[in-house]
Amino acid sequence: MLVIGLALSLAIHTAVADVVAVVSAKSAVSTLSKVQLADIFLGRVSRFPDGAKAVPVDQAEDAPARAEFYFKLIGRSAPQMKAYWSKIIFTGRGQPPEEVHGGSDMKKRIAADPAAIGYIEESLVDDSVKVVSRVQE
Amino acid sequence: MNPADRGAPLFSFSGFGTLGGVHSSDDRADFTNSMFKPNGAGYTHSWSNDVDTLIAGQVAATFTPKLSAVLQVISEQSYNNTYTPQVEWANINYQFTPDLSVRAGRTVLPCFFLSENRNVGYTYTWVRPPVEVYHLVPVTTNDGVDVSYRSHLGDLANTMQANAGADTAHLADNAGTAKARHTWGLSDTTELGAFTARLTYEYTNLTLSALDSFFAEFQKFGLQGAAIANRYGADHKPNRFFDIGAGYDPGAWFLMTEWASSQNNSFVTQTSAWDMGGGYRLGKLTPYVLYARTKADKLSDPGLNVSSVPAVLAERALGLNAELNSILSTNPVQSTDSVGTRWDFERNCDLKLQLDHTRLGAGSSGTFINIQPGFRLGGTVNLFSAAVDFVW
Repeated sequence: MLVIGLALSLAIHTAVADVVAVVSAKSAVSTLSKVQLADIFLGRVSRFPDGAKAVPVDQAEDAPARAEFYFKLIGRSAPQMKAYWSKIIFTGRGQPPEEVHGGSDMKKRIAADPAAIGYIEESLVDDSVKVVSRVQE
Repeated sequence: MNPADRGAPLFSFSGFGTLGGVHSSDDRADFTNSMFKPNGAGYTHSWSNDVDTLIAGQVAATFTPKLSAVLQVISEQSYNNTYTPQVEWANINYQFTPDLSVRAGRTVLPCFFLSENRNVGYTYTWVRPPVEVYHLVPVTTNDGVDVSYRSHLGDLANTMQANAGADTAHLADNAGTAKARHTWGLSDTTELGAFTARLTYEYTNLTLSALDSFFAEFQKFGLQGAAIANRYGADHKPNRFFDIGAGYDPGAWFLMTEWASSQNNSFVTQTSAWDMGGGYRLGKLTPYVLYARTKADKLSDPGLNVSSVPAVLAERALGLNAELNSILSTNPVQSTDSVGTRWDFERNCDLKLQLDHTRLGAGSSGTFINIQPGFRLGGTVNLFSAAVDFVW
């Protein structure tokens, strides 16, 4: 039990640098709560709180930033998120967010589209995007 | 979110499946997971792959940002012991607003917590939804319409779903069909962070054809025979179903419970069931425990009063009484303790191992089928199940 716990905490703490949620610098959205962010990425809402359309974008399934983002946002691992979306897909309720390959592709995708919302490692943030949540645990 | 909105592919193909094996400690009856399956583990097979194994493919089409369709075909052991593919979902969805959608075609009735995704083992922790609860409704799909409305109040998300339609399902073992007509129902789901609560009501007019000729025999016994045929016959009987469930899943662990009741004035009688389970996630392993029980309110009946029938018919009356009681004894009273673990050993795959200890109520054969001489009503049965689930 102790060994497993130790291995787990190591796995969590050796994860990548901080991930932040970003929108385009052109977006009117300035800040989102974790619940608002989770609702958008879980497909529960399709709009930002101000009513503007929100299009979530995911990094690739094996991207460390993706695992970090969902773990900090709602405490879910990659298989748990896969199970969540499988339920929605196979009950005909929708499709998961579109995917881009990694952090720099994500930044380009978000910067170009005021409706898009994604997440990148904090070190990648520049003035083309705006941080709307620091996604702290 | 909408693929057509962002110029992504119009069609998305996906699928899921389970490879499962079950062993039962009792070889005088079969364990299986639905009344649509003709055999399972125990009597027919020492190890049965038919209980949980299935494969399904799906195509989802997005025609415009508002108009989409889904078709899901599933191959699993069906009533006639073949794996002939069946259409599980086939509907067109029109999204009037981001929160209001209407579907027309075939959907799965949202009776229980896991009803709509019960075939997708990858989406839940147990090997299968507990049979004690999930056997309560003999129809799973609905051909008709379904309206879904989502509303938000602060952090609270609510989804109201209303459905109406009809369905005909083939039951296993030459048990004929289950015809559901004038079906309608309401389901309400509330989500607040890690907490989910759900309420469902479904009405249907149910006809189970298998015993028509049997109950016709009772009509030969005057008023008392007609009363029995009317009491236990299943010709156009109203069936009212109610389910309430709740789940809490903050990520590292989870708990879920549901209670259901089905009222039907036929030989199926009135049955209530509940389950409760939880698990703890240790990295890729999720050990879990689950408890489920079901109780039908009618397992026997005195039947025809033999002393008041003409002597020449007395033997026939005794035979009918015995058969009636044998039918009623298949109304399940049982409870099961389960322990198991899910292991997410590979991306998009899991392996599950589960032990079930089932106690049958006095005079009941529980949810077991193909009862053989020597099977002990009211006994106990142990099961071991292994399953690999996958999605793609």
